[in-house]
Amino acid sequence: MRFKIGCMNISSARNQSTQRAGSGLAFWRGWVALMAFAAFVTVSFSARAELPVPAHIKPPVGTHQGEKVPQPIEFPHNIHVKINKINCMYCHTYARRSNVAGIPPTSKCYGCHKVIATDKPRIVKLMEYWEKGESPRWKKVHDVPDFVHFSHQKHIKRFVFDADFPVEDVQQVCGLCHGELREMTVAEKKKPLNMGFCQRCHKANGGPGDCWKCHK
Amino acid sequence: MSSVKLDRRQFLKMLGVGGAGTALAGCDLPTTITLEEGKEEVVSYLLPEEYVIPGVGVYFASTCTQCNAGCGIHGRVREGRVLKIEGNPDSPVNTGKTCMMGQAGVQTHFNPDRITAPMMRKSGRLQTVTWDEATAELNKHVGAQSNLNGGRFAWVTGSVSGHQSVLINELMAQLGSTNHYAHEVVNASVWSAVCQDMLGDAMPRLRIDKAGTILSLGADFLGTWISPVHFAREYAKFRSPAKRGVLVQVETKMTLTGGNADLWVPARAGTEGILALGIANFMVDRGWNKVEIPAAVRAELAEYKIEKVAELTGVAGSKIQRIASLLSERAPGLVLAGAPVESSEQGYASVSAAMLLNIIIGAVGTTIEPATRFSEKALQAKAGDTKSLLAFAKGLQEKRFDVVFISGANPVYTAPDALKLVDGFESVPFKVVFSQFPDETTQKADLVLPMYSAMEDWATHVPAYQTDGAVLSVQQPLMEPLYKDTKGFGDVVIALLKQRSKNYEQFPDYYAYLQTAMMNLPEAVTGPKPVKKEFWNGLLQKGLMVTKGDRATLSAKLSVPVFAHAAHHEGGHDDFMLVPSARMGMFDGRHANVPWIQEAPDQITKVVWDSWAELHPEAAAKLGVANGDLIRIASEHGSIETQVFIHKGIRPDVIGVPLGQGHEEYGRYAKGRGANPLKILNPVLEQKTGELAMYATKVKVSKTRKTVKLVKMGGSDTQAGRQFVLTVSADKLRRTEGEG
Repeated sequence: MRFKIGCMNISSARNQSTQRAGSGLAFWRGWVALMAFAAFVTVSFSARAELPVPAHIKPPVGTHQGEKVPQPIEFPHNIHVKINKINCMYCHTYARRSNVAGIPPTSKCYGCHKVIATDKPRIVKLMEYWEKGESPRWKKVHDVPDFVHFSHQKHIKRFVFDADFPVEDVQQVCGLCHGELREMTVAEKKKPLNMGFCQRCHKANGGPGDCWKCHK
Repeated sequence: MSSVKLDRRQFLKMLGVGGAGTALAGCDLPTTITLEEGKEEVVSYLLPEEYVIPGVGVYFASTCTQCNAGCGIHGRVREGRVLKIEGNPDSPVNTGKTCMMGQAGVQTHFNPDRITAPMMRKSGRLQTVTWDEATAELNKHVGAQSNLNGGRFAWVTGSVSGHQSVLINELMAQLGSTNHYAHEVVNASVWSAVCQDMLGDAMPRLRIDKAGTILSLGADFLGTWISPVHFAREYAKFRSPAKRGVLVQVETKMTLTGGNADLWVPARAGTEGILALGIANFMVDRGWNKVEIPAAVRAELAEYKIEKVAELTGVAGSKIQRIASLLSERAPGLVLAGAPVESSEQGYASVSAAMLLNIIIGAVGTTIEPATRFSEKALQAKAGDTKSLLAFAKGLQEKRFDVVFISGANPVYTAPDALKLVDGFESVPFKVVFSQFPDETTQKADLVLPMYSAMEDWATHVPAYQTDGAVLSVQQPLMEPLYKDTKGFGDVVIALLKQRSKNYEQFPDYYAYLQTAMMNLPEAVTGPKPVKKEFWNGLLQKGLMVTKGDRATLSAKLSVPVFAHAAHHEGGHDDFMLVPSARMGMFDGRHANVPWIQEAPDQITKVVWDSWAELHPEAAAKLGVANGDLIRIASEHGSIETQVFIHKGIRPDVIGVPLGQGHEEYGRYAKGRGANPLKILNPVLEQKTGELAMYATKVKVSKTRKTVKLVKMGGSDTQAGRQFVLTVSADKLRRTEGEG
């Protein structure tokens, strides 16, 4: 799938170049190597690197300074994402299947933590929930009003799967609306998620502009 | 209120100027409209089933219980809550369709006025108690240790079938009681009685789809009669362009079916049978009969000459001839008879006349087919009627009961005042009501047992009217119970049965019983089931089983009914025949607590959220009343007040008041709204069957000085020359071949 945007994403460029003459291929290989080196330099030398924006997406514009919402367990996104490099969709597995990304079932937490970091206070608390047969009552941070029909599934399909974007880098796509979760413990709202924010992105990336696409 | 005064023009101007500015800026306003971070909770599943995806619906098969037709349904369940009902395409009853009552099932289930805990009468007042207290009280009066005399126990239900019927019968047998009263206001019991006597089968299959002409004597088969969703499907085939069947509806007040008819014939109330005989005589005279008619029958029919019939019925002779021609030319015909005819004084004779006409036009065997019965007799439907209500009221008056159970019925609401049921009911020492809602009967109870909704409970249903094959439909819960202190009907009855019989000890609940009972049904009924558990799982997946069943055989008994008197009503100045009509939606009043049903306009008058009295323009002119005027409608046994609605789809000598409103209890949406015409009915009986003749009450109508605003959808009945719908007369079309 192609998008009406200026720069081409790397994977589709690669597909095209393999069909061309050798000189083109060499150019792209060199370019990719250069970019990789640049990325390495950026990561190495800045204290806190910005999450790269996937080349095939014109990112939505807008910021929001949400408050840190106290949660029943201070879930550390940073440990899971940054240190352990766990994919967003490993836990938020419904994102590609449903309108909602879903909070992972407690059984999923238990699956790992019955053996990992079992002595940490947050895990002890989690185990107490599990033993009681209850799930923590998390506070909602990201949401849109009831009159907005938003589908995670459609966005993931378009920007990840249809665009041949590597799934292992999916946090770059998620981060466009959810901010840099890898730097947070509990989720904080960093993007406004209002109509202007959505609409600008739809316009820039050729998303639907009909009112009823979202308001139905 | 603001002190700034704006007129409409200024207000619109301001909107125009301000609106342009805010339209764009508004997009970037913070989304605090419904959402503030950290205010709402989101709770994940603990250990979800594999197929559960939040945000994606899962469909479970079940059975609709909004009326007794037994339609199969699929409930869309998301995040553990049932959100939407669809028809089950596998069910031959409704083939994937539902009606408005079925759709509104979710509002019955999520209704805010559900009873959420048991209640017991203490010092004259119903008070919330625990289940332990309620059970102790129940056992004290009905349990094995009680000294209940079984003969003095009565149970009033609606129509019942399946395993609920088995359990009720078991408990009745254990207690030694035979006083089971199955009561329904909307029923077809006289039709059934006639079918049984003249055809040898109480509920034959009616092939509306095969018919070329249908003559319906007041049968609102698209609205409330027997199995409306099924009939509506068949009707669509009957009306397919290739065939274009003709529908003739004879009734005093237009129903949904009447509104669809090609020819609407407002015959005098109570003379529909005579009309049928007139048509029969005319057809036999012309030799249009499809079966041999014995001379004796001919002679009896000859009494009904067209002129005489025209005079008695008020239907022009030419129209009678036309209906006869239609039945003959556009064969096969089918004659039906519904509530207004069945439920008149000579209802049995009138329906018999309709059936005789069926036999004469050769409908028996073509458009009337033998029924298929579910082979397990104990599970077959016990259809409710009004005769049982009369019998129950009589029993109450004679003080024959010490303990009364009520489930699936609301007799305090449906019984006419003349039966004095309320007084008798109040004097019964111990009254137990199994109910979901605080209705009129519940309020008079000594013990109220809060029931699961139909979407929380287990049950099996065997429809009284079977179509292709004999169906047993399973009602399985579509979600967990909303309230922890409600229970399943079967669970309560099983607990009572356990006290007297060891056979039930193995069943912890109704589910266990149902599963065992279904798995143990003989293979002759269910077909082969090598692995019983698989059979059960398959049953739940499909929601029903269609069995071969037993095929009845139809006979045809040619006999001309005798009318004791030509019961017709001469309307006087303020004298009217009351038509307490049921309609799709409100039904007998059980759906008055459902907002979707209340706000759905009546199919004919378009009135919402209230009662009304339908009057013909001539009658209204005579009375000097206009739309919205409140009138008093008085019978010998009471009076009601409601607003006038004037239209032409009613005879000038009758007054139509719809059933369903006028609840004194029954929750916030139903209570204190409109009037209940059932209350003022005279206790007139149908002469042969002893059913309550609901369409035989004469009333006096008088003006009050009050007027209200008639709230209805749709402004006027005419297009006022605006040509929204362009029409051309058939005659003009013929002359111009559609070009002019």
